[in-house]
Amino acid sequence: MALTGRLGLLALLGAIVPLFAPSWWTLFAVWGVLLLGVVIDLALAGNVRALRYHRSGDTNVRLGETAKVSLIVENLGRRRLKARLRDVWPPSAGATPRMVKINVPAGERRRVEMTLTPTRRGDRKAVTVVVRSVGPLGLAARQLSRPAPWTVRALPAFPSRRHLPAKLARLRELTGAHVALIRGQGTEFDSLREYVDGDDVRSIDWRATARRGDVVVRTWRPERDRRIYMVLDTGRTSAGRVGDIPRLDCSMDAALLLGALASRAGDRVDLLAYDRRVRTRVEGSSRTDLLPAMVHAMAPLEPELLECDAAGMVSTLMARVRQRCLVVLLTELNTAAIEEGLLPLLPQLTARHLVMIAAVSDPRVGEMAEGRGDLAAVYDAAAAERARAERRRLTAELRGHGVEVVDAPPEEIAPALADAYLALKAAGRL
Amino acid sequence: MVTAAPPRGEQSAGPSARQVAGRRWRSARGVVAAILAMAVVALILAALRPSTSAEALDPESPKQDGSRALAEILRQHGTRVTVARNAGDALGAAGPGTVMVVTRTERLTEKDLQELSGVRADLLLVRPTSFALDALAPQVRRGGPTYEEKDSPDCSLQAATLAGRVAFHESETYDVAGSAAACYRTEYDAARLVQVRNGTGTVTVLGSTAPLTNRRLTEEGNAALAMNLAGAGTSVVWLVPDLPKEGAGAGQKSLGDLLPFGVKLLILELLVAVLLVALWRARRLGPVVAEALPVVVRSAETVEGRARLYRAGRARDRASDALRSGARERLVPLLGLPRSSAQDPSAAQEIVTAVARRTAYDETYVGAALYGPEPLDDAGLIALTDVLDDLERQVRQS
Repeated sequence: MALTGRLGLLALLGAIVPLFAPSWWTLFAVWGVLLLGVVIDLALAGNVRALRYHRSGDTNVRLGETAKVSLIVENLGRRRLKARLRDVWPPSAGATPRMVKINVPAGERRRVEMTLTPTRRGDRKAVTVVVRSVGPLGLAARQLSRPAPWTVRALPAFPSRRHLPAKLARLRELTGAHVALIRGQGTEFDSLREYVDGDDVRSIDWRATARRGDVVVRTWRPERDRRIYMVLDTGRTSAGRVGDIPRLDCSMDAALLLGALASRAGDRVDLLAYDRRVRTRVEGSSRTDLLPAMVHAMAPLEPELLECDAAGMVSTLMARVRQRCLVVLLTELNTAAIEEGLLPLLPQLTARHLVMIAAVSDPRVGEMAEGRGDLAAVYDAAAAERARAERRRLTAELRGHGVEVVDAPPEEIAPALADAYLALKAAGRL
Repeated sequence: MVTAAPPRGEQSAGPSARQVAGRRWRSARGVVAAILAMAVVALILAALRPSTSAEALDPESPKQDGSRALAEILRQHGTRVTVARNAGDALGAAGPGTVMVVTRTERLTEKDLQELSGVRADLLLVRPTSFALDALAPQVRRGGPTYEEKDSPDCSLQAATLAGRVAFHESETYDVAGSAAACYRTEYDAARLVQVRNGTGTVTVLGSTAPLTNRRLTEEGNAALAMNLAGAGTSVVWLVPDLPKEGAGAGQKSLGDLLPFGVKLLILELLVAVLLVALWRARRLGPVVAEALPVVVRSAETVEGRARLYRAGRARDRASDALRSGARERLVPLLGLPRSSAQDPSAAQEIVTAVARRTAYDETYVGAALYGPEPLDDAGLIALTDVLDDLERQVRQS
């Protein structure tokens, strides 16, 4: 039940009446009239309990895009329902309109269209649906709040997918599947084909040539069916914002581009998100459903404000992957975290696997290092130089352990990681 | 490192604090203006109200609005002047042949007035309140205030005719029924001075305090009028009541008794209306949804914190070291030397020579810039960054 402003106004006007007839009975009469109005309204208002809700529409939306969710309101009551309806979503779901007016005749259904533009990644659950049906006099209303469950998952935006065509073209050049039919680089035997002008004579397969009576060359291609294991660090260092985006989101973007590229290149891609325990895992996905699986696994991930447990991460990794693979660790080059956590365990890891560390650097540090003029700017510059020196030292130390390090600002990390992968592939180091 | 900080760069998402404040101001400015206008009106009214000091018409006060001058003159003429501070004392001192001057009647309680009405003496009421007038001179009714400055008596009362023109300044006027002396009439026939008979004696009502005050006593015939009225008997009892004690006015009606029943019902109904409006506003269309917000911490926060620590500690040594080693790191690849030499002290001479060869500076200057002691003051530190930038630029361009 809810009252309206009209009832308050009427009570206000009713205050004048006792001035003309000063008696308790006058006041009781005014109250009686108000009460009667309320009772009539409550009795004649459309029945909100007789409503049934059905939902349909999008369940996934890429961050920054708009999802449409329909709420179908079915009136099972015997009277027409004129009401205001609010479909309640969390603020970060960006649901509009906030409130709609519905008019549902008895036994019929009406559709309410909601548009959701989530402002953050993750699952957004519909909270409840509230209906307020005001009576014919407009003095009182029936109100009911009842859940109509629905979840919209806001997926990572994957803005670096615009780099994918360029990287795939580069990949095709490597594999020889390029339209220009350049002989593929690599170490793995692919197929035999007829010699064309320009082919390297060293690649002529004499035995096949003798058999066919025509000059036949061997073609090569980079190794396929290698395994790439991506590890997302969701610990405290991933919460830091670079620009206005958490470092974790930049890492995810880079992981998605690498995943898309590597799966096209015929490699098996797995994903693990870890801080002090396994947050999510994508393993054994086929080439076609890898990207959706990764995107769905990443959507609800949030940075945890904990120190990442490097020992746990390495042991989980070693337990899950027996054969040699490329381990891509998406983390931050934080001196304390790496030196105390990962560095002592690196030999164990590099002994079996090829390790690559991808870190997002903060352009703000670069800006600070450029600071000149006043004292504050110069001290900023000094602190930034110190930070960069530490980062350089750490990078050098990691490279000394045979680790590939990709350190790039947020907008370049994804293509830089893809390039590093392609370089490894071209060199046959996978 | 990880702490919650206010979100940045989200102004585009919702209205900023300034916009919200502006909207609230626009919606509230009508109310604020109304309140201000009421305050201004109240202040103006308060300023216009004639101030009455605590000692007004006090026969012992030598102040402008006191009446010591008149009392002294009366004494010099042989009239005994008794000052009474409450009605009881005044009644005790009064008797036949006495003129009782009753001033500041707003301080008299209902009981005082009742007692005074039975006094066996002539009364001179100076600008009485309507309560006092009703109790002591029921046949006289209040007219309204007049502001005409002067007037002539124009009546048969000897005290007035002898005094002639009198300066009343602001005065109350009175209507009187039946035969009575009504002097100093206005054009609407309302009198400023009225004398009626009342059983045992006369009751004189004077509409203005001016003829009795120290300040106005010398104007026109004020002194004469005051002397004639107050000094009519053998003695004067001058009643200047003090403020009545707490509870002395008991028996008077409370505010609740004075309000009509209808108004009380109106107030009750207004409360009900307010309650209903509150219930209307209190019921939301759906709940407030709370959700966990992500932690917002800038990645460069530690670097900024370190910069502030350097500044707070005036750590010029560490700051200059960091700046120099950063500059060397950038210079070394330009000079074609191995990267490791940037932090290698044994390679210092080699770097300095190479830099000096490619810039306009000599080795001493370059050595001081790249490996020198810490700057002596803040200006030196700022100058060092400029020198390092200059070296780097020259090497780059050579």
